[in-house]
Amino acid sequence: MFTIGKLASLTSVSNDTLRYYEQEGLVRPAGKSPAGYRLYDKDSARRIHFIKHAQQCGFTLAEIRELLVLRGRDKACCGDVRTRAIEKKLQIGNKIRAMKAMSKALDQLIADCANETQPVKECTIMAALERASVSTPVR
Amino acid sequence: MKVEIFHTPGCPACVAAHAELRTAAQEAVQDLEWREVNVVDNLDHAVDLGVLTLPSIVIDGELVFTSMPTVTQLREALIARNKGRA
Repeated sequence: MFTIGKLASLTSVSNDTLRYYEQEGLVRPAGKSPAGYRLYDKDSARRIHFIKHAQQCGFTLAEIRELLVLRGRDKACCGDVRTRAIEKKLQIGNKIRAMKAMSKALDQLIADCANETQPVKECTIMAALERASVSTPVR
Repeated sequence: MKVEIFHTPGCPACVAAHAELRTAAQEAVQDLEWREVNVVDNLDHAVDLGVLTLPSIVIDGELVFTSMPTVTQLREALIARNKGRA
């Protein structure tokens, strides 16, 4: 059994992050020491590694919670997990499109601003952003 | 009318559901073009159409269902769309 500090060093995660994971129901202590400190077991360490790897693949903590539930469900099959992985890829594909559109919009602004020595009040990028904010309805 | 159902292969329950939906669609619409699209092989096309969850159903290029509809829901959507075209 490990203390929270030991678990943090084993998994390269801060104590605060571990407490947050616990608050979010992603890990829970296996017991308590006689002095009342939380104690964790090897399964907690495995769960933390699982969470870190899933985060690296773009899964949010809410999605990771679902994956952890699936992991413990007898009737779940690999197809359930695969579908979630494919849905994550769709989301990432969508974000890449949005980022490319943003990058293209910036390209246009940068190209339009040919004179870097102009005062900021005459900056075409600033002017374009002002126009964008005027044309965007305020909610 | 073109109906595309985006899915991941390998789920026997889904295959059975697709067959039911297809039959209902064929009964509801005469000029039906039914496509079962494997998302893994057509990811860009799925992203183009805004598909984020599986299964999803796109009718004439518009994302209409983001989860598996019932037979009735699909039939009603197709009939309403057909009326709109007439």
